[in-house]
Amino acid sequence: MSVYRDVSATISVHGLVKVYRSRRRRLRALDGVDLEVGPGEVFGLLGPNGAGKTTLVKIVLGLTRPTEGAVRIRGANPDHASARLKVGYLPEGHRFPGYLSGVAALRLFGRLAGVTEGVLDSRIPELLDLVGLADRGCDRIGRYSKGMTQRLGLAAALIDRPEVLLLDEPTDGVDPVGRRHIRDVLLAERERGTSILVNSHLLSEVERTCGRVAILDRGRVVREAAIDELTRGGLRFRVRAEGGVVEPATPVPGVGLTRCNGYLDVEAESLDALNALLDALRRDGRLLTEVTPLGSDLEDVFVKLVGGGQPPTPRAAGGGAQ
Amino acid sequence: MRTWALVVDTWREALARKTLLGFAGASTLFLLTITFALDLDIVQGSLAAATLFGHPLEMHGGQVAITDVVTGGLSAFAGLTYGLGIFLAVFATGNQVPNLMRRGTVDLYLSRPVGRAHVLLGRFLGGVTVVAANLLYLCGGLMVIVGLKTGVWEARFLLAALLILVVFLSFLGFMYLVGVMSGSTPLSVMLSYGLWVVSMPLAAHDKIAAAMDSRVSVAIVNGLYWVLPKTAELGRDIVRLVLHQGAPGAAALATTTAFGAVCLGLAVTLFQRKSF
Repeated sequence: MSVYRDVSATISVHGLVKVYRSRRRRLRALDGVDLEVGPGEVFGLLGPNGAGKTTLVKIVLGLTRPTEGAVRIRGANPDHASARLKVGYLPEGHRFPGYLSGVAALRLFGRLAGVTEGVLDSRIPELLDLVGLADRGCDRIGRYSKGMTQRLGLAAALIDRPEVLLLDEPTDGVDPVGRRHIRDVLLAERERGTSILVNSHLLSEVERTCGRVAILDRGRVVREAAIDELTRGGLRFRVRAEGGVVEPATPVPGVGLTRCNGYLDVEAESLDALNALLDALRRDGRLLTEVTPLGSDLEDVFVKLVGGGQPPTPRAAGGGAQ
Repeated sequence: MRTWALVVDTWREALARKTLLGFAGASTLFLLTITFALDLDIVQGSLAAATLFGHPLEMHGGQVAITDVVTGGLSAFAGLTYGLGIFLAVFATGNQVPNLMRRGTVDLYLSRPVGRAHVLLGRFLGGVTVVAANLLYLCGGLMVIVGLKTGVWEARFLLAALLILVVFLSFLGFMYLVGVMSGSTPLSVMLSYGLWVVSMPLAAHDKIAAAMDSRVSVAIVNGLYWVLPKTAELGRDIVRLVLHQGAPGAAALATTTAFGAVCLGLAVTLFQRKSF
């Protein structure tokens, strides 16, 4: 029987273990990781420093050998070069050879990807334009800023119109405008049906681009779920009323209330309890202006899971993260 | 296409690091000196007089047959190029593998649909073409200039350049092995020079072994002689080849080539197994 849960998955990782050995110690960078990224899915990989995110991505690409476990990328063993056909990769902290210009780098990595010269002639200017480097393409990479090399890295990852993209900290060192630009490129790739695995510290970026995430901590997946599922709150609401709102004169059973800056944060046991509270406030003569369901943002969930188990702070659902 | 990309990349790297320009500049300067500063006066197939930068060169023993002058001069130059050329070529190419294996760079190359052996051998081929082109430019240029000036066309000089290239390939294979194992440019270069220094006196392995008491030491010396490149013998063979004194020794050539091939094979095997 196959160890893979979904044979159609673009990326399948099963029972992955990676142990780094040195003379003095053994470091278990990955400890039994199971993951699957479906076709056309944008999957986020989150975790604190040293959680094993980059190791996982490198194993998926065949750059690092796993100690145990099985990995498939579009059904193929990543040790085989052919498995990396139509796979784009933006490594963390990548260093293009400084002696190349942006154009020469794209041509080199395009040729290595098997793209023909004719296609490269049209694809390179198109990509430089896409990542905002059209006017710097002939400059040596050694003269590029960090953000520019990051954009060039993204262009190189897209050179052969990949069907799978693996991006390790794609917005690292990029200014907010550039981050938005990169996000737009990723969203366009998602529309094209590209499967994307994003490894990022910027939770807001992940929240905006990914459909599903896995949170890694000390080499293990501590949570894997859809973003909506992770950030969905329980029966928690924020209630506002004209002139501010205070607790009702008559206590209402089944609700927990926290007053703050003129509004009430409500944690209700049921919708009936919530409605009983609203009725009580109306009886007290309060003119209600807003009842908003609250969710947790991804950062709250992340901190709760990997940062010592502090309870998440409520926030208005749909609000921006970070 | 992919091999071509790797070869072009190696040339770009050599150009950017001024290696190629340095080689070409030094070679051009030398060739220009020979072309314009050396004036030969040949009378009935013999060298009657010669001047360098206008200063007469002393001709001991009167007139000398021009063929002897050419073969003598070219053989001396071949011997010089052998030592100096390999020294410079090792220095110029020692960073090839460590540069490729730099964190953040190796990922860019190996994440493409191209095998690791292909990447490493593509760069090896690039390094070989850079050094071969320089040798061809220097030795071919010198042969043409001397040929035009004297009418003596010494094609064996190009064969000598080919032999120099074979010895360099052996050293390049060794540097690739050290580079893959250590990722260090200084170590690759220093160990290659060390290999040269150790292999040179091994030409006298019989005499060294005869002076030893321990059978183990004798076995080690003889073993090293057969395993390591035959730098001294091949240097002597290169000079003899140009002087028409015989072909290079097959055993020396074969073991030197085998050493480089085994080192390169090990480098590829280790590179394929390595985690980045």
